[in-house]
Amino acid sequence: MFSWLDKPMELSTFLNMALGGVVVLAFILGVVTYTIYFERKIIGWMQWRIGPNRVGPLGLFQTIADVLKLLIKEDVIPAKADRNVFMIAPIIAFFPSFMVLAIIPFSATHIFTAASNVGVLYYIALSAMSILGVVLGGWASNNKYSLIGGMRSAAQMISYEVPLAMSMLGVVLLAGSLNLVEIVEQQKDFPYVWYIVPQALGFVIFIISAIAELNRTPFDLPEAESELVGGYFTEYTGFRFAFYMLAEYVYVFAMSALGTTLFLGGWEGPFLPGWLWFAIKVSAFIFFFFWVRATMPRIRTDQLLVFSWKVLIPLSLLNLVLTAVLKYLI
Amino acid sequence: MFGFLKGLKVTFAQLTHKKVTLMYPDEMPDFGERFRGVHKFSPEKCIVCNQCARVCPTSCISLSGSRGGDKKLHIDTYDINFEICILCDLCTEVCPTEAIQMTDTFELATYNRVDLYKNMFWLDDNRKKTEGILEHDASSFGGEK
Repeated sequence: MFSWLDKPMELSTFLNMALGGVVVLAFILGVVTYTIYFERKIIGWMQWRIGPNRVGPLGLFQTIADVLKLLIKEDVIPAKADRNVFMIAPIIAFFPSFMVLAIIPFSATHIFTAASNVGVLYYIALSAMSILGVVLGGWASNNKYSLIGGMRSAAQMISYEVPLAMSMLGVVLLAGSLNLVEIVEQQKDFPYVWYIVPQALGFVIFIISAIAELNRTPFDLPEAESELVGGYFTEYTGFRFAFYMLAEYVYVFAMSALGTTLFLGGWEGPFLPGWLWFAIKVSAFIFFFFWVRATMPRIRTDQLLVFSWKVLIPLSLLNLVLTAVLKYLI
Repeated sequence: MFGFLKGLKVTFAQLTHKKVTLMYPDEMPDFGERFRGVHKFSPEKCIVCNQCARVCPTSCISLSGSRGGDKKLHIDTYDINFEICILCDLCTEVCPTEAIQMTDTFELATYNRVDLYKNMFWLDDNRKKTEGILEHDASSFGGEK
């Protein structure tokens, strides 16, 4: 129905593409709105609080009200900031987070998303671009704390990008494909297990580096407002700040969707329709992130980098070698 | 590693725990006997001894009285400036006739500093409200609008 690859670019094709983009954007904005709501609710419940419940029924409009507030706030640009870079940095941080959704197979009949043959590579390559937005935002603010915050975030995100990519390689080796649709299809064949079982170590590494990559607790050093002066977004206000937050929460969804696809069998599952299975698994992933946030204290900077380079990368290398050897033997 | 799992178990167990949040504006907290809120004032009990104004550490109380036909002092004006009042309770401790006392009113937020100057009539109304003589009206707390 929506096979765009083998057709010439006509007006109707272009309109279809544009419509697809708008639908995915609307969908992701809805997901982000209620991800934030559920984060606040779940963490509240874990702390014996009620969480947001004043705006709308059950507080369901709380996030909408928050976003509205951010949008009508004054947009301050510091006088000595590099104006153009300052304005464009949040966009650079956001657009890869939205673009990676193009290869996530939401369902067996993957409407609006591409079954690209280099899906995994595409995800890793694009998500690395967000670091650029973070560093530029910190640098363009012309504030030494922002600059240091940007560098700190970059160090963290680059360090954890490596084990994240290497933990995904184990799955790629098992499936023999970089195509995310192909990877899901492989998981329903013999031996009928999701890759979380043969790739248990890889899954643990994936989860840890995903949390670090998303700047969530216990790796939320870029956002330690009280201890480390915020970070790269110290000078940002209003909707530019909202863009950074939006990028972060879109990544929460994108990373959960990727983890679901790689390790939990994507849309596969008995009885229920594919998109529902996908939604359930992604929700479980997102819930786990919130759960960890309510549990763990923040990690120290030196421990953060040591943990990545001395623990996660050797472990992920070991996982890769073991996977390759076992794949060869069996 | 196992400590981490144990921590996860603890937080998960709290999910269904009874919530301790008080739905404050809908539901008032239960105040103790000696809660120090905004004063109430009974003009008929006041003997204009000026002790409350003299003991007040922030000098937020000012009052004036005059001698009536019965040779006794009667209160004319009694003002408390809640911009600087620290609700220390000293004025009520020192009052020989208990004309000035503390209540459990505490919602004083206003849009205007002038509204924080409370006069004798407001403080007397506050007494009547706490004693149930006057109807409680939430909008009247922040002074006259």
